[in-house]
Amino acid sequence: MSETTSLPQIPTSLASLRESFAGQSSSTRALLLMAPLIAFELLVFVIPFLILLRISFAEPSSDLIYEPGSWSVEAYAAVIDNILALELLWSVISYSFLLGVVVTIVTVVLALFYAYAIWRSTGLVKTLLLFSVVLPLLTTLVIRTYAFRPLLSPTGTFNELLLSVGLLSEPIQFVPNTVGAVIGQVYIVLPYAILAIYSVLATMDWHVVEAARDLGASRPRSVAEVVVPQAMPGIIVAAVISFAWSVGAYAAPGLLSENITFALHVEELLLTDLRYPTAAALSVIMLVLMLAAISIMFAVLNRFGGDFDLA
Amino acid sequence: MTSTLHRETLENAAFRAGYGALLVFMLLPLLVVVVTSFSASGRVAFPPDSFSFVWYVDFFDSTQWLDAFTNSIVIGVGTALLATLLGVLGAFGQELETDSVVGSVVAPVVLIPLLIPPVILGITLLLYFNEVGLRGSYASIILAHTLWATPLVYFVMRSVFSRFDWQQLDAAHDLGAGPVRSFVHVVLPNVKHGIFVGALLAFIISLQEFVMALFLSTPGTETIPVLAWTEIRQALDPMVSVVSTFLILISVGAIIVAAIATNLEWVSKQLS
Repeated sequence: MSETTSLPQIPTSLASLRESFAGQSSSTRALLLMAPLIAFELLVFVIPFLILLRISFAEPSSDLIYEPGSWSVEAYAAVIDNILALELLWSVISYSFLLGVVVTIVTVVLALFYAYAIWRSTGLVKTLLLFSVVLPLLTTLVIRTYAFRPLLSPTGTFNELLLSVGLLSEPIQFVPNTVGAVIGQVYIVLPYAILAIYSVLATMDWHVVEAARDLGASRPRSVAEVVVPQAMPGIIVAAVISFAWSVGAYAAPGLLSENITFALHVEELLLTDLRYPTAAALSVIMLVLMLAAISIMFAVLNRFGGDFDLA
Repeated sequence: MTSTLHRETLENAAFRAGYGALLVFMLLPLLVVVVTSFSASGRVAFPPDSFSFVWYVDFFDSTQWLDAFTNSIVIGVGTALLATLLGVLGAFGQELETDSVVGSVVAPVVLIPLLIPPVILGITLLLYFNEVGLRGSYASIILAHTLWATPLVYFVMRSVFSRFDWQQLDAAHDLGAGPVRSFVHVVLPNVKHGIFVGALLAFIISLQEFVMALFLSTPGTETIPVLAWTEIRQALDPMVSVVSTFLILISVGAIIVAAIATNLEWVSKQLS
């Protein structure tokens, strides 16, 4: 289609485009359909990431953020030394992973329960439950996290409630504390986890569960042996999303905890200390650790009947 | 028989109490946001000591929040369009040719950005967009958000396509329909709800994402979450609650309009 293409010609050129598309073999067609996606991932993900990798191997410089064109493993050596000596980076990384694991377990259990409740409910209750999942998604993450501060602080709503009922003799410091960070982070990832599991459950045939019940399975047993295995693809997506987002958590620990997570530390390295090679090297190491953990998670969950294939 | 019935009643009660508690957990923070927006004092406490519209009056005097709102919508719509286009085409292409080598590489590559902490993506893209001269444009944030939204659209579409009965497509081919025509008339009607859900997910991801936006935005392209984060760090006043309340109302409105526009029957079936 040249620049001179006038309006009446468009239908014909569209038709010829369609014809040429129809003429392709199915594998060429598949490739053509995937081409925009491939180009996008290459330009906005792969290449920028190679640049980051390159910077992690650059020599730190005193007047520039790094020495252009230099090659060095200095940044990696410094990061690994610090981790192995159980210094700051060790505590930052172990705290991030601990947060990720705890949040993932809590989130998946709650999400499975809630998704099941949505699936089984009808009418107004179902609408209300679905609404309660979608509504938090529509609110910005910053605000959702922030709302826990007046709720959980030592002088906050929750503590005053427990004190007035007499369950507590003195307030518990939920925030700033790890408990607050976990609650805030669970709240951030829970709607995604619920939707991931619900989308799989929604396609499931209730009669299969009914059959299990008729054959004498109790409700808990029918859930454990029929619902969970069938929902496994959704559970895997929920677990992976929860874990990855929580290990890299930024807003919830930033607002609700005083512990430094990896994300907060890397931001400081980059924006305050301007130590680009160190930050890049730490990021690369963190990514390798995270992807290793996720691969293990895939392998373990697949053994429980997930049969989830990425490709 | 009586004991079985009794146990079932107990189980039902426990089940209801369980999801009731979760329902409260899901909605309570939002209630806090809405209620504190009517606070009379500058302190964010729940419930507030006294109520007023003073922060709403302040909001309408502020152009920076309205600008941020426009930025958020522009970037959200851009992300939804781009991510849906890429995700739907990619997933369909993969479904046509399940054994292709390229396909088996594409799926993990599409997924990985979702698993990378946004701080790293933000910094990586900041360096990159500086190099290619996109810094400070809407495009830079749209591209960053698309990186996160595409996997969601892609995986929603993969699961939707995997449930589609492909024999229908073969039947269409056998009856003489070309690939484009069979897609539009046979595949599309079966997957349009999936596409809509995917696009909505992409829009939501963009609307609330703020770490990447924090690194990539300039004063002209600041989104609502970025501005809110900066404000919260500076002063703890209920202005942010006012903004969130508007955002919640507008989003709920948008979802209703979109639902009506797409397919009222499907939505009512889903919700009933």
